[in-house]
Amino acid sequence: MIWAGLALVVLMALLGAPLFAVVLGAAMLGFLAVGVDLAAVAINIYDLTDKPLLAALPFFTFAGYLMAEAKSSERLMALTRALVGWMPAGLAIVGFVACALFTALTGASGVTIVALGALLLPMLKSSGYGDRYSLGLVTSSGSLGVLIVPSVPLILYGVVAQQMDVGERFTIQELFMGGLGPALVMVVFLSVWTILRHGDVPRSSFDAGEVWQAVKAARWELPLPFVVLGGIYSGYFVISEAAAMTAVYVLIAEVALYREVSLRALPRVIRESMVMVGSILLILGVALAFTNFLVDAQIPEALFQFMQKHVTSPWTFLLLLNILLLVLGAILDIFAAIIIMVPLLLPVAVGYGIHPVHLGIVFLANLQIGYFTPPIGMNLFIASYRFERPVLELYAACLPFMMVLLAALIVITYVPWLSTWFT
Amino acid sequence: MPQRLRRAVELVETCLLTIFLGAMLGVAIYQIVARNAFGTGIIWGEDLIQAAVLWLTLVGGAVAAGPDSHIRIDIVARFGSPKFQDVAARLTALFTAFLCGALGWYSIEFIKWDFIDGTPGVGVVPAWVCETIIPVAAAVMAVRYLRHAIWPQRKEVS
Repeated sequence: MIWAGLALVVLMALLGAPLFAVVLGAAMLGFLAVGVDLAAVAINIYDLTDKPLLAALPFFTFAGYLMAEAKSSERLMALTRALVGWMPAGLAIVGFVACALFTALTGASGVTIVALGALLLPMLKSSGYGDRYSLGLVTSSGSLGVLIVPSVPLILYGVVAQQMDVGERFTIQELFMGGLGPALVMVVFLSVWTILRHGDVPRSSFDAGEVWQAVKAARWELPLPFVVLGGIYSGYFVISEAAAMTAVYVLIAEVALYREVSLRALPRVIRESMVMVGSILLILGVALAFTNFLVDAQIPEALFQFMQKHVTSPWTFLLLLNILLLVLGAILDIFAAIIIMVPLLLPVAVGYGIHPVHLGIVFLANLQIGYFTPPIGMNLFIASYRFERPVLELYAACLPFMMVLLAALIVITYVPWLSTWFT
Repeated sequence: MPQRLRRAVELVETCLLTIFLGAMLGVAIYQIVARNAFGTGIIWGEDLIQAAVLWLTLVGGAVAAGPDSHIRIDIVARFGSPKFQDVAARLTALFTAFLCGALGWYSIEFIKWDFIDGTPGVGVVPAWVCETIIPVAAAVMAVRYLRHAIWPQRKEVS
């Protein structure tokens, strides 16, 4: 009976049932199997009120949607271009940095493709970069921000991992610091590869006047990193308060100072961003129930023991993990992948002696690459739609970027120090 | 659904989401100012923000059920024929409606326990009041997915 139910749940998942329903079904079956009252599912959903960090998600997401609605992307481009555009392969590096920062703030790499891609693509092509390279850059670079504070996937990993309470304890601040080194490795790898390949592209010269203009245009948004980071690291605020400050600051900047988001548009922005948050947290709520069942039924332990029979070295485990996550990253939404897979994989990884912060970074780095992994990475379809190009062309365009990032991923995976030096 | 009713429903949804987000932001900022400037704060402030997260989640989830825009894996459906996609959309919507119904039903049990125990919630508001959003949102989602099972809305993926 339980097995038939499980088969039904899996079938429905494959046919495209909403993930929250799939996880809800799995959790209910689990509770039925071990004889727990199904009211337990509701109790676990109510546990969402027991996680102070969660309040940061609606705040940061709202701030991100506001910035996507305003012309922040143009100002960010202009500023990075004025600052690093004179370097060899400067414009490409501008693209990496601007896309990474924009995704970190908006939490969604798809938004970055839509908001920055349209600006960046013609600029790259007119500066002498090939069509295929430019297309690959705008499609893949949006994913670079996943590891950069205050990206929503990072916070979500922190919430899920901390409630598991296994392995070394870590703070969300340590997790944020852990992402910076690996993100930098990725940008450096991409930049070096680009300089080797496109070093002959004509450079623009450094122009102090242009920098001043860009700084002036971005004057209300420039303090933002200080609001976010100051809020997080000063010790005066908890993370959710830093997020609230960020949201209010961005609200004032875009609505009152830049006047690019009208008061009339505000309800729509709130609605869109909160529906996004609601659908992520709903999966989290039912997944809390599912995780409870997993822990009660000692499934992570069983999984670990099974793994240990076949895989003894943590390095081999990490390699297998990378392959699994790349596939998952391509088929699963990043938020859903974190919520569903971390409770299963974290206890196993800790069993192999892997630090939870390191696991988180490896986890997210994989999912990030999965975003544009052919044939089904989501960003490929977003870019295909946005730039009106066949998906096959995007596969070819993104493949070299994927290879470079996979090389970076190997470094990130096998040099744990990059992510854990701060802990 | 008539156009006017649909608009009214959307308005109510947007108002609820705006109120929860606004309340969370307002209380969070007030707490920061009160604590750092005056060394005080609302005792139940943190509880209120966390309860608002729950309400925001469930209302947001119920709103997402309207256009059936919940996160899903759509690889199989993406490559199927239109007929297949239609059947898959109906079946999965029925499955989702059933589970939402079950969630709503069993959550009433949980609310009853907390009502009898008098579990504290936010300030003077008992926990069972905060919990009522679970069956309400579950019921809304069940009805909406039942509607999708009868009249599928999901856009075909190209």
